[in-house]
Amino acid sequence: MDPKRWNLLLLLVLLVGVAWIWLNRIPGDAATATAGLPPAPAVGHPAPDFTLTSLSGETFTLSSLRGTPVVLNFWATWCPPCRAELPELQAASERLAGQVAIIGVNQAEAPAAVEAFVRGLGLTFPMPLDVSADVSRLYTVRSLPTTFFIDRQGIIRRIQIGPVTEATLAQILKGIYP
Amino acid sequence: MFPIIQLGPLSLPTYPLALLLAGWVALEVGARVAQRLGIDGDHVYNAGLYGLVAGIVAARFAHVIAYWPAYRAQPLEIFGFNTSAFLLWPGVIAALAVAGWYAYRRRLPMARLLDACAPGALAGVAVAGIGALLAGRAYGAPTDLPWAVDLWGVARHPSQAYEALAALIVAGLALRMILQGSRPGAGALVALAGYGLSRWLLEPFRAESATILGGLRLAQVLGLAAALVALWGLRAVGRRAGEAGAAAAE
Repeated sequence: MDPKRWNLLLLLVLLVGVAWIWLNRIPGDAATATAGLPPAPAVGHPAPDFTLTSLSGETFTLSSLRGTPVVLNFWATWCPPCRAELPELQAASERLAGQVAIIGVNQAEAPAAVEAFVRGLGLTFPMPLDVSADVSRLYTVRSLPTTFFIDRQGIIRRIQIGPVTEATLAQILKGIYP
Repeated sequence: MFPIIQLGPLSLPTYPLALLLAGWVALEVGARVAQRLGIDGDHVYNAGLYGLVAGIVAARFAHVIAYWPAYRAQPLEIFGFNTSAFLLWPGVIAALAVAGWYAYRRRLPMARLLDACAPGALAGVAVAGIGALLAGRAYGAPTDLPWAVDLWGVARHPSQAYEALAALIVAGLALRMILQGSRPGAGALVALAGYGLSRWLLEPFRAESATILGGLRLAQVLGLAAALVALWGLRAVGRRAGEAGAAAAE
């Protein structure tokens, strides 16, 4: 091809390219992109609501936390990575008290065993007990620990399979709840 | 949607597995094409593995710097196995730099080496795309088209499959050119232009995109820029070959 044709081609690609990018821009408010989606355990969807009894005996309903970012962690006492991660979540719940709600859903274990474990590690954040594993099924939790990061509007912003550390937690929280 | 592959008691996360497979496909195809071009295929594997190690170290190091307060309390986490404690771009840059340094030290023909690696890299992109489709990552925008896939009650574009298919087509084109004896570097530039244009064209079918400058999709902007640079490069390759041809005719 001679240089003139090359120049023409480059110009054409540039013009068509910019036009297609402009046509497909995303308007300022990102919330409109997720409006109307059904609740599902997926990024961008509203977090499915649930009500469970927590370890302290109180009723816990996820939607009652609307307006506060939520870190929803699924765990069990038999899961070594959970055991490693729970103190990190405890530290975060103390550091971020009043800003982010840290919730630890225990998967299908006897309350007495959970209570002894929680006392042993000195955990104080809310622990809803998913005794029949219904909520785990609702959230399609297939491996522990799994953590859902939910924004102020109740939309799931990130799903972390496997443990979080203080460093990854700081990174995720900075990205989702600036 | 299969985010986890269950093998008896073993739960394997699909997407990281697909990434591993993608890396292997990229190296294997790259090594084979390199052999055809007269470069020892082991060089591709060596450059790839050195790059991988450098990339992992740099990505973790960058994460440690960025989140130092969290690491100060637990210095051992610097060497921890946490697969999310990495920053992508420092890792990519370090990997490319080390792979390039390897090729430079071994005095490998750089343009030919890039030609050899380009189709493999795109085949890897295609494998990763299929992994994303299976795991429900980077999913598509809602649509009523008959080939929509259902994801959590919403019919969506299989945008990952579009991207994988486009990558395979571009890889095939570039490979054909290279094996038919194209000028050194031309195949890699065609691959870059094709991949850039495919991201530019197909990104709008994704449900979510990172944006810049008030809503422009970042992948589209980078894709178009890469395509323009690659086309510019193709022009230069063609011109240089033309001059060489004219000089030879004299």
